[in-house]
Amino acid sequence: MEDYFSFTKRLFDPSTIKEKPEVFKGIKVLDFSHVIFGPIAARLLAQYGAEVFKIELPFVGDLWRFGVYWGKFWKHSSVCFHFVQYNKHFLSVNLNSPKGKELIYKLAEQADVVVENFAAGTAEAWGVGYSQLSKINPKIIYLSCATYGQYGPLRFFPGWDLLAQAASGAISLTGYPGTDKYYKLPDYLGDYFPGNVGALALVMALYHRKKTGRGQYIDLAQSEALMRILPNFTYFSITNEELERVGNTDPTMAPSGIFKSRDGKFVALAVATEEQFKALSSAMGQKKLVTEYKDGFERLKPENARELYKIAQEWVSKKDSAEIVNLAKEHGFPVAEVMDDFQIANDEWRRERGSVVVFKDDMYREFVLPGPSAMLSKTPGRIKWLARPLGYHNRYVLKTFFGLSEEEIKKLERERVIGYWDDRPGIKPPVYYDMDKDAVFNYQGNGGDKAHE
Amino acid sequence: MSKGKEKEQVLVRYGTARRERQKFLADMMSSEGKPEVLDGVVVLDASYANFSGIIAASLFAEFGAEVIKIEPPEGDPSRKITPYGANVNDVGIPFLMEARNKRYLTLDVRTEEGRRDFEKLAAKADVLIETFPAGQTDTWGIGYRQLSQTNPGLVYIAITPYGQYTDKAKEFRNLPDSDITSQAASGLAANIGDPETSPEPYNWPFKAGAWLGWYISGLEAALGGAMALVYKEATGEGQMIDVATADAYASLVGYPVLIGYTWEKARPRLGRHDFTLYPYGFWKSKDGIVAIAAPRDHDFRALLKILKLWKIEDDWRFTFDRITDILEQIEKLYGLIEAETIKYTSDELIRKALEYSIKSARSKWRGGGVPIIMKVQKPSDIMKNPHWTIRKTFQEFDDKRLGKFTIPANFIKMSDSPPRVKWISCDIGKDNDYIRKKYLAD
Repeated sequence: MEDYFSFTKRLFDPSTIKEKPEVFKGIKVLDFSHVIFGPIAARLLAQYGAEVFKIELPFVGDLWRFGVYWGKFWKHSSVCFHFVQYNKHFLSVNLNSPKGKELIYKLAEQADVVVENFAAGTAEAWGVGYSQLSKINPKIIYLSCATYGQYGPLRFFPGWDLLAQAASGAISLTGYPGTDKYYKLPDYLGDYFPGNVGALALVMALYHRKKTGRGQYIDLAQSEALMRILPNFTYFSITNEELERVGNTDPTMAPSGIFKSRDGKFVALAVATEEQFKALSSAMGQKKLVTEYKDGFERLKPENARELYKIAQEWVSKKDSAEIVNLAKEHGFPVAEVMDDFQIANDEWRRERGSVVVFKDDMYREFVLPGPSAMLSKTPGRIKWLARPLGYHNRYVLKTFFGLSEEEIKKLERERVIGYWDDRPGIKPPVYYDMDKDAVFNYQGNGGDKAHE
Repeated sequence: MSKGKEKEQVLVRYGTARRERQKFLADMMSSEGKPEVLDGVVVLDASYANFSGIIAASLFAEFGAEVIKIEPPEGDPSRKITPYGANVNDVGIPFLMEARNKRYLTLDVRTEEGRRDFEKLAAKADVLIETFPAGQTDTWGIGYRQLSQTNPGLVYIAITPYGQYTDKAKEFRNLPDSDITSQAASGLAANIGDPETSPEPYNWPFKAGAWLGWYISGLEAALGGAMALVYKEATGEGQMIDVATADAYASLVGYPVLIGYTWEKARPRLGRHDFTLYPYGFWKSKDGIVAIAAPRDHDFRALLKILKLWKIEDDWRFTFDRITDILEQIEKLYGLIEAETIKYTSDELIRKALEYSIKSARSKWRGGGVPIIMKVQKPSDIMKNPHWTIRKTFQEFDDKRLGKFTIPANFIKMSDSPPRVKWISCDIGKDNDYIRKKYLAD
């Protein structure tokens, strides 16, 4: 029989992704959301084949178009925005004008999914809430994302990822105990994780609709999504003690921690089972530890865990990290070197696997961005185009989707129902790019053919 | 605008919609009597000493699938992975928390007999989750290659540190998985911790308190699995899903890859500061710690107003004055803000921010600034908060064998087919008879 790893290599080969089917082909998503929490849920559907129409206010645009690290724009765009918005259609329509609203309602008639993440009730006030759109299209799946959800006394409280981290108690776990050091979870994890939960809810709702034909409303509170992953509450309800900050170790495994090796690198090491404890003990040449700490629960008691932490720390500090990784492979206990941004972006394994993708874009040229951590063999996700300047797909969508003529589109432009970018980085195209020659932006066809695919 | 006209406008904007909105929101507050999405879907969870698999299985179970946890007779070692060894009847807290709507079958895949039963079960299953070393089930003759022959509709989810393909996956196939190594390998640990100039070990890479490596991997596995089920519903075809926990964080948030590529170096650790937004972090109050987010210029101005710091507005007016790339500068601003926040209790600060926001939303002169302040809360406070009680965020159980405990549940509210927790049970082999009769009788 064929070697397993050559079989899987064929099965998942990243170069064949383009030829494979897309699971959400034909699904249309109306995306009113902004920044990260809502957009990432819509983007996950776009990654797997849905057609997503991202609606932005003309001449203003999504706030996250300006969300750049340390003020650094890349080719007049935000790299973070590219990651959250790829494969979407960028439609810039003024929801405040009756004509703009009419366009949106027409889109809603045919949409399968709607995503929004304004403060609770705002979408309703603007006439694009569930109570309004479900009348136009009863089969619609409508996802509302908010920090505290759509009902309850805190519903009108505004929020960002950070506030959800505070309100859910996620912050209270990360830091050094007995000091004033607390760390937040970095990189807006409080948006990305709940956003992925939102995508899960949408996929489940789509599955449900396929079986029953019914749409529904989804209320997702990012604080609740974060609470779902915290052991604090159950721990408190059983032991009557707060689970405090745990330091640079995992209190569920002993020994465990991030240690410094002889060659100055950082190595994470953990022991989750008896088997792994035996493996580590024999790798360390201290087999007697196995008889000293017999039971898993016993080992985890704070005084024992501290003792084992010291032993592990001492051992790691006398070895190079490569040696430790080799011993872990050989004996079988969890070890990983701490990887930083640069190492991850350039990691050969990730590039081969497809979890770091080198992508050639028509407008932004070469760019490197992450692929998924879960690879699907038959219907893999893919990147088709990066984020685009504000209003880039106006003409294309109005012609192919609404069947409007050039004159009608020009009229909408004059009335400022639809609009484009101004001179600010983040919403405008890169300087070297000639917009006049762009076939999608100046879409000449009359529908039918899809210039983009 | 006159008072009457203003009222009329409000009515136009909120009038009828509000009543209907109340109706459908009220309808969402309970899952009772509502259908379940995955009713009739069978999920086998053969994960071993790996919570990514257990978590993915929980998510399927909450959406209504029949989830069968397969363990050797001595039980999955995951039962003993728990903070400080805390347990109830030998069941650790994370295992208890994830024991949602599950069935338990003892089946030893290490024996020939066990594998035959496993094959029979897999022939009737829709989803299979396993976390053995890559290729292990294949050598046993119960891998994706073999099982998909008899059951082409099977969705096979494999979770390992480095995946099922590539040379590295092969080389590292015997390396077991853990949460902390997933955090380290996927770029999370490198971005938490104090700046380089701080004393050791505070300037080391740092582990996030929660199990982010495992929860992200579990969520992504379930998300991939759900998509595969949608595809199966349309075509009848299953597929294999390969989850690498060493990708968890970088693939979820993107930043490590995006910045590593465009900046061509690694970010230094910034301690309590954020890379993009400022102010966006924690400050001490009179009685605790508050999180403050006021990064946009108008939010920042509003924050200065409520903290009576308007005199420093000129120095820090624009986003670009507050970029966190010059640490001394941003520490100075941090100090200026803390000197004020320390004068008030957390509740006072929250109220001040809210009052200002309400005023500012109604006044064009205040520019719509919304400074947001929230108390950093402890679990015991959170569980008492009426907001979460009304939303049924926490579910209490009083079990004969497990005693009284609470779990966070109902984290997605859906009007037609919400996920829910129907029962919690953990006994090894509890459903042996039920499962053998239902799936292994022939």
